[in-house]
Amino acid sequence: MTSTVASRTATDPGPPLRHGDTAAQALLTAIGIGAVAVIYLWWSDTGPIIGAAQWITNGARLCGLLAGYTAPVLVLLMSRIPPLDRTLGTDRLARWHAMGGRYFVGLVASHITLIIWGYSLTDNTNVVHQTTEIVFHYPDMLKATCGTLLLFGVGAVSARAARRRLRYETWYHLHLLTYVAIVLVFFHQLSNGDQFLHDQAARICWYCLYLGAGAVVLWFRFALPGRDALRHQLRVAEVRTEAPGVVSVLVTGRRLEELAARTRPGQFFRWRFLAPGLAWSANPYSLSAPPTGGSLRITVKERGGHSAALAGLRPGTRVLAEGPYGAFTADRRSNPKVLLLAAGVGITPLRTLFETLPAAPGHLTLIYRAGREQDLLFRAELEAVAQARGARLHYLVGPRTEIGEPLQTRTLLTLLPDLRDHDVYLCGPQGMVATAREALDTAGVPARRVHYESFEF
Amino acid sequence: MRRIVITAGGTAFGVLLLLAAKPHQTGSAEAAPVVAAPKGAVSGSATGVHTVIGGSVGTALGPVQLKVAFDGSRITGVTVLEEPDSTPRDEQINAQAIPVLTQETLAAQNADIDAVSGATFTSQGYIGSLQSALDAAK
Repeated sequence: MTSTVASRTATDPGPPLRHGDTAAQALLTAIGIGAVAVIYLWWSDTGPIIGAAQWITNGARLCGLLAGYTAPVLVLLMSRIPPLDRTLGTDRLARWHAMGGRYFVGLVASHITLIIWGYSLTDNTNVVHQTTEIVFHYPDMLKATCGTLLLFGVGAVSARAARRRLRYETWYHLHLLTYVAIVLVFFHQLSNGDQFLHDQAARICWYCLYLGAGAVVLWFRFALPGRDALRHQLRVAEVRTEAPGVVSVLVTGRRLEELAARTRPGQFFRWRFLAPGLAWSANPYSLSAPPTGGSLRITVKERGGHSAALAGLRPGTRVLAEGPYGAFTADRRSNPKVLLLAAGVGITPLRTLFETLPAAPGHLTLIYRAGREQDLLFRAELEAVAQARGARLHYLVGPRTEIGEPLQTRTLLTLLPDLRDHDVYLCGPQGMVATAREALDTAGVPARRVHYESFEF
Repeated sequence: MRRIVITAGGTAFGVLLLLAAKPHQTGSAEAAPVVAAPKGAVSGSATGVHTVIGGSVGTALGPVQLKVAFDGSRITGVTVLEEPDSTPRDEQINAQAIPVLTQETLAAQNADIDAVSGATFTSQGYIGSLQSALDAAK
């Protein structure tokens, strides 16, 4: 590991910070400043802390305030604000949201435990009596208790272990209950929180934060997609089998050229097909061809539930497409030379980038890994693009039992001796992405130049 | 996993630092604001059984005002006329703190009593109003 780092710094100072990294730092700084302001709110109207009870109660207040601040921030991270989504990437925002969500649950749990403990110490009552007192006699606390139980329920369901036993759609809809929980819990903060009871300005700030987050979510997750649905009236035009278990869906609609104009190659939409059994879920699929004024194409491998049912779609079925989303686009590259590394159905966004990514002849390479010959998608298209652009195209085909681990550093270096001078776009199953990242790291490609988007939400 | 430990530990440490940075003592009597008893506060003969209404002391949570009963110069009882009661939490704290303060007063026979922890504001108001009643009774 150390030798890799050393040789990297010796030969080049590393690429400049990408746009997305600057944006990430800016966003994290903004969130941090907000947290400091919230802590200051506590600091400015807290007097001397005397005795264990006050230590505990004030610890509880700090946890509560921070949790109250974290909730709208988490909502904002998931609000799909296009500039944020395009620069930071949907996957990164989702990861932050997931990490922040666990942190939030921790803060809430600490707040509750410490408040009950601190109050019962102050009042010399037992914990059970103090809990009933708080839940039933303090204003808005019954609502807050329901909200918290809901929140913990969703938290338990979201815990990764539990989620594997749940369908994505079920998990997703349960997750929406957190909005209800946040509304239920909101009021107890203002009617019990020392910091808000005696401070009109703090109350107004809190209202702005929550109402603002709510407005952003309503606008970007509901109003805009609704407007697009009416404007474009998308419908399924054709369903085509590309390979065993892989289908392409072609979608047409009105004013598609507008949609095409604001979509960057490599981005995805959340697709909802208004057919029996499918209407309840919106799944993220990348466009598998550059969008044109005529149609949009997605290509999906059957993996169960939603994806399997796509094969049975009838032409004419109404489609709602939310998007475009994602930062897996040409914006991320920082080098003239680019390697696209695809495995299986992960070819879809790379197929689009292969055609559109600006690159001089010889500077663009696509390495495409598949288990079997017949699993290779879009062969004719890829070969035509390669020929037209003077791009290189390599297939790594064969079962692992026969050809060994295909994505080894050695294999990659044989195909591309100057691998280190490349930006790499990775797309494939999770295992493949992990293997390839390791191989690229060993080959000396800086992590910053390895771009991938993971859809394990 | 490491990240979780770092964030949780970091937060706990930060909260402890903030709590530790606050002062941890207060001179209860000195901190009590000085007010005067209202006009006509004394009712009854100063040598016999009589009551004195103390001044109303404003605190961050609301005003506190007492009525003190004397037998001659001996304090025999304290009635709270006004206390912070805008929230159930204030009520709960006062229900706990005021009997303690009254007991302390009856034992000490002056306003040099300890504040009740967890009820800083009520204690300050109580002591301030008590002192003004004692001053008026002299």
